[in-house]
Amino acid sequence: MEFNVLIGGEAGQGMFSVELELSETLSRLGYPFFATKNYMSRIRGGHNYHMIRVADRPVHALSGKPWDLVIAMDSAETERRHRPSLAADGIFLGADRVGQIEAEARETFRDPTASSTILAGLILACIGAEPSASRPLAPDESAARALAKGGEFAARWGLAARRVITPRPGDRCKLDGNQAIALGALMGGCQFVAGYPMTPATSIMHYFASVASEIPVHFEQAEDEIAALNMALGASYAGLRSMVATSGGGFALMTEAVSLAGMTETPVVVIDAQRPGPATGLPTRTEQGDLNFVLHAGHGEFPRVIFAPGSIEEAISLTRRAFDVADRWQIPVFILTDQYLADSVQVMEGRVPTKMLRRDYPVFEAGYRRYAITDTGVSPLTYPGLSEARVEVDSDEHTEDGKITEDLDLRVRMVDKRLRKLEGLRKEAVMPSRAGDRRAPTVLVSWGSNRQIVEEAVEALRAEGIAVSSVHFGQVYPLTAPMARGLARKRLICIENNATGQFGQLLRRELGLKVAHRILKYSGECFTVAELVERVRKILG
Amino acid sequence: MKQDIAWCPGCGNFPIRAALEKVLKELPVPAKNIVLTSGIGQAAKMPHYLPYSYFNGLHGRSLPLAVGIKLARPDLTVIAVSGDGCHYGEGGNHFIHTIRRRLDITILVCDNKVYGLTKGQSSPTTDLGMKNALDPQGNLNTPFSPLVTALAAGAPFVARTFAGDAQHMEQVLRESILFRGPSVVDILQPCVSFNKVNTYAWYRERLYKLEEPPRDRQEAMRLAEIWGERIPIGVFWRDGQFVCREIRETFRRPVTEAAVAKLLDTKCIMMR
Repeated sequence: MEFNVLIGGEAGQGMFSVELELSETLSRLGYPFFATKNYMSRIRGGHNYHMIRVADRPVHALSGKPWDLVIAMDSAETERRHRPSLAADGIFLGADRVGQIEAEARETFRDPTASSTILAGLILACIGAEPSASRPLAPDESAARALAKGGEFAARWGLAARRVITPRPGDRCKLDGNQAIALGALMGGCQFVAGYPMTPATSIMHYFASVASEIPVHFEQAEDEIAALNMALGASYAGLRSMVATSGGGFALMTEAVSLAGMTETPVVVIDAQRPGPATGLPTRTEQGDLNFVLHAGHGEFPRVIFAPGSIEEAISLTRRAFDVADRWQIPVFILTDQYLADSVQVMEGRVPTKMLRRDYPVFEAGYRRYAITDTGVSPLTYPGLSEARVEVDSDEHTEDGKITEDLDLRVRMVDKRLRKLEGLRKEAVMPSRAGDRRAPTVLVSWGSNRQIVEEAVEALRAEGIAVSSVHFGQVYPLTAPMARGLARKRLICIENNATGQFGQLLRRELGLKVAHRILKYSGECFTVAELVERVRKILG
Repeated sequence: MKQDIAWCPGCGNFPIRAALEKVLKELPVPAKNIVLTSGIGQAAKMPHYLPYSYFNGLHGRSLPLAVGIKLARPDLTVIAVSGDGCHYGEGGNHFIHTIRRRLDITILVCDNKVYGLTKGQSSPTTDLGMKNALDPQGNLNTPFSPLVTALAAGAPFVARTFAGDAQHMEQVLRESILFRGPSVVDILQPCVSFNKVNTYAWYRERLYKLEEPPRDRQEAMRLAEIWGERIPIGVFWRDGQFVCREIRETFRRPVTEAAVAKLLDTKCIMMR
């Protein structure tokens, strides 16, 4: 049982507030839900819409089914665009009805913004939620009254208990993808973030800026992305685990500093929250178009690791891991996320694991050599000011002491030292996750944010008797032979939010796996489950 | 280890290095707490020839490195030393905004008014009309004024000194490093290989010393604009009222599990 809601209108008309009120109350009452948004790069006007799926079981994707409820905050555009996808028994609330609710907010509550809470109350009433049940949990008395008022409207218009959904009590937490990344970073020991605002990465910076007064972390707004990554490298050199967050266009400016991290062996974590390019592209939409870019960013040859989380849980765990990997191997580590995952609000079942990574601050004698050549390729790392050991770091090719060198034999030894880390990195690669019928001849391959859309599609296909399984890569580089186990003889369908099937190409290059079919989407929108099921069906005939 | 120094014989970087070495040695700060950052160019090799921790980064990027280091470790004395091409050209944006950050960072610029390492092209401070390989008709650009720009960006300490006057250099460098706040020192430095105009002799004919820093910024600005037959050196501006920004102590104070758990209780919802 589920209830799919779309709220549309112009930027600034309050759809976001409705989503916020609704999602907060839903999580308080224990309803599983998934919410995401489609918005324009403007502050007022245009057409934005928020999509909320409430269900009696955990959901982590848009169903793609017809809407059970469409609320239009505007006079025509929402109706024109979305009424055609209303379910046969769906409810359409037009601007006149919304107007009545807005009038109530002004007159009864003397607060025009109360209409968001009233609308949230109305939606809750549609799924049979008791407004009174949330009363003790509502943030304040007037909010509780506004929720109840929404219930009255629903009753008056005959919408109450249209689609009754039973909540599931238990521990859970409501997060969007960017908050999950920020939490993962904190657990990974991150204490320094520098950045330049860029959609859809900005809310990661907001999170750090907002907690910096409570916990020992820094957020510094840099003058540009070039400065941002250099600041992070400076902070990392000085002893803080550091991170930057940006999108493709900002990352373009960071690439020289990625190479600097490679050469100086300075640990750092880089978040690329992807959006459609090239250039400014579609600033507020989603895409997985930066894989090749991040894979090859930075001149010269040096090791790197790229993670691409497919869920809130993975956004936390892989970001946490990124700091550990970056620090132990002294390399840049990348997290590829995108607008879809960044902006999607989901319920995480159970408690957020707050296991913090521990770290130490080793002290060395005066003869310390920052770039001592070792079997693993990793040199002992310390920080300036802890002892007489000087920490000498250089962007030129350097000696073991960190001095500029043009000794070409040493150059070869240093390149080998840096690249040797890849052997160790391969050994501790994160294996892909599998779901569905492992014996099925067809495998849906995905990476990054598409994981849960694909997994739900696999369930739906299997329910129709179509044998499929899925494999999701949370680590997209390096790819290792064990990751390909059992895939060589399967029919692989690679699902990506880009136009050129970049991950499919990488699978072939790194693992020799041939992708039989590609399902690509590059309109700037995410996949829905229904759409994916349809496209897989077409392929399988 | 005896190091091979990569500068040309007679390079102005030698006396700058000597002055810096002396000043840093006498500084009332433990040597282990001194960190140098630099970019790329001949002047940017400076940290390699001094006995302190350093991060020799990319061209133009010594300042954001310095900012990151200072924020992470307010206990460290952070000095960014590089050339005019690095600080004013490739790093021009960082020069302006690092000054604005109100951090205790010393910005030293070995200003030879030319690109040395790439063999004599025009730099941001090259005189109008000076001929070189990439400007065979003579440099067409108005020279950048480091002191005026630093003052305009709000630098509380702005000075100029001369590589040919060891005593003056030591005095100004010492003062700039001890000053608590973003301080800028433009060090006039002859380039014996590529700048045949702004030589030691050329400077000696023109330089005169400011006895006292001016009392207000307007006067500092007026002096900073003087360049030509007479060139002032010394401290142009020192803001005695300047207060650095406070930096949270974070080094070796990890975020605790309890703190994250508390955040989860309060901030695990979309922020309003």
